[in-house]
Amino acid sequence: MRIGIFICHCGHNIKSTVDIEGLKGYFKGLNNIACVEDYPFMCSEPGQALIKSSIERFGLGRVIIAACTKALHQDMFKNLVRDAGLNPFLLRRVSIREHCSWTGEDIEKNTSKAIRLIRAGIYSSAHYEPLEEKQVEVNKSALILGGGISGMSAAAFLARAGIEVYLVEKEKELGGHVRHLEDVWPVRERGKDIIERMTEELKTLNNVHIFTSSRLVSFGGSFGNYEAVIENSGGEIKVIVGGVIVAIGFTAFDPSIKPELQYGIDKRVITTLEFEEKMHELPIKEGSRVAILHCIGSRDEIIGRPYCSRICCINAIKTGEAIKNRFKDSYVESFYMDVRSHPRGGEEFYEDTQEKGLLFTRANISEIIPEQGGLVLRGEDTLLGMPFEREFDLVVLSIGMSPPKDNQEIAGLLKITLDKDRFFLEAHPKLRPYDTALKGIFIAGTCSGPKDMEESINHGRASAVKLYGLLNLGYAFIEPFVAYVDPKRCSGCRMCEQACVAKAIKFDEGLHIVRVEEAACMGCGLCNATCPSSAIALKGYKDTIIDDEISALTEAV
Amino acid sequence: MAEGNKETPEIIGFACSFCSFKASEMAGSLRMKYPEGVKLIEVPCSSRVDPAFIIKALMEGADGVFVAGCHPGDCHFIKGNYYTRRKIAALKEMFRAFSIDEKLRLFWVSASEARRFVDKVTDMYNNIKETKR
Repeated sequence: MRIGIFICHCGHNIKSTVDIEGLKGYFKGLNNIACVEDYPFMCSEPGQALIKSSIERFGLGRVIIAACTKALHQDMFKNLVRDAGLNPFLLRRVSIREHCSWTGEDIEKNTSKAIRLIRAGIYSSAHYEPLEEKQVEVNKSALILGGGISGMSAAAFLARAGIEVYLVEKEKELGGHVRHLEDVWPVRERGKDIIERMTEELKTLNNVHIFTSSRLVSFGGSFGNYEAVIENSGGEIKVIVGGVIVAIGFTAFDPSIKPELQYGIDKRVITTLEFEEKMHELPIKEGSRVAILHCIGSRDEIIGRPYCSRICCINAIKTGEAIKNRFKDSYVESFYMDVRSHPRGGEEFYEDTQEKGLLFTRANISEIIPEQGGLVLRGEDTLLGMPFEREFDLVVLSIGMSPPKDNQEIAGLLKITLDKDRFFLEAHPKLRPYDTALKGIFIAGTCSGPKDMEESINHGRASAVKLYGLLNLGYAFIEPFVAYVDPKRCSGCRMCEQACVAKAIKFDEGLHIVRVEEAACMGCGLCNATCPSSAIALKGYKDTIIDDEISALTEAV
Repeated sequence: MAEGNKETPEIIGFACSFCSFKASEMAGSLRMKYPEGVKLIEVPCSSRVDPAFIIKALMEGADGVFVAGCHPGDCHFIKGNYYTRRKIAALKEMFRAFSIDEKLRLFWVSASEARRFVDKVTDMYNNIKETKR
């Protein structure tokens, strides 16, 4: 057998902590190794060309790609191997980035680990067999979790493209946080009006099924045929969908976990969201003194929210402007760390409000002291390096975004991952920002990190386009890792039949052996581990494959 | 039974492709560090792990073996991890007779629990390093 090994540097990601030359030197000397190549980026076009030409030139029988984990670029590498004339199931991916170069710092130890991992790939792939992928039909339907602005945008696109859409919202009405905004910058409309326009549009489309006050309770299946159970007061509804978009939004930061801010204790301390809702009922008048505090629940390591929430600067400026517009003689002072009014037109808006008399002071506020007359803010002016105390009638906290409350539950049901801040993790931050590691499951809007309205809408639509691209094909390939029986070894003890959860194993009374119904087999391999005579095996995870992988990992380097 | 290197234990982990293996990928992406001695073998479900694999790994010199699967009730294959739990319990009982039950661990790690994965494997590594001294 002729084996080709392709080692990726991944720029500096692998190269800086694994000795690539050492790896090459080790594998060059082994039997059956036809070529060992390295390249800065195997996923780039020249990298792909190198693999393809090597397969053709050396007549490779096995291709080992030592690079990132197989959750990334697997389809691309499979197609590449197929184009070069080799069965794609003779390709073995070895993860030396997520499982080696990123988890250890010592070059020598990492290199020795990488050698063992690649060797495990070589030994086990020797037992690989050419397999054919099964083609399955894809349901042209989508489940959208979360009926906020992002989910609604995705639903509208998919429905117009002819996809059956199931939109699930846990609240009584669609619209999420946007519904409660009194003044949406920069269009200066009420959030409720925007949402109602969008809801009307969705209602004219007869392939959108809206489930309000509903939640997802169970989820299973695979791309093209995901099975979801939605629960509401009317009972449980089971739907089969091709793909899913997760757009469950965010939870507003609750400032009461910072008791020094007096939120929830003193009624004169409110959040920007509360300001939007009861703008006209506030106890302020001409001549009132109002303080606005930026970065509440953002850029704060101590409470575990080190990220910038991106929306709160504009919200703070907008709040100040609203007060100034109503009461020209009020005194409004904003206490900021940095003003990041990044959306288009944001900087001009910041300048304009300053001209209207809104004051900006760079400061750290340490505490708010409630007094009979007013609220005393104690802090430090970080430009002058001077401590100060100032009295105000009202304090508005510009709160940031926290991860959605149901993140753990949804991540668990869908088996997708969360990042370190507990927002949903994308497959690749730059190249695949809408995808999750699972095929056909996309994320949209603020559940994958703080975004403003415009970005959330775009994110929702982009996820919808990506999902539409997959669904519109109408078919998909699923991995052919199913069990098969060696009739010569099977003694007909029927232990596997009892163990099989999918009921895919049937007993043949005439021949006194079992057989596997491939369409029903889920590919867990439990039968393989149960069989006392090694007669039933799971393709791709046969005993010999795992046995040799163990040997390769334990053998000395 | 072959003895591994005392200074740096070698641990082989069988990780379910739906949860623990994903958690390990995530741990890597988040640049979390864990000992180099920990090496994973991906299995479609923790129930694919034949007790013979665990015995083989220990016979060939691994200082420890762990099986990592989905939390009870979360199995992609409905109840594969319940089979695993019973199999490992029986195997551990057998290992206890040889005082090597500490070399085998079973734990549940979901796809989103990268921190838990790292904590579990690091704890096992340190424990084995300590007992081997």
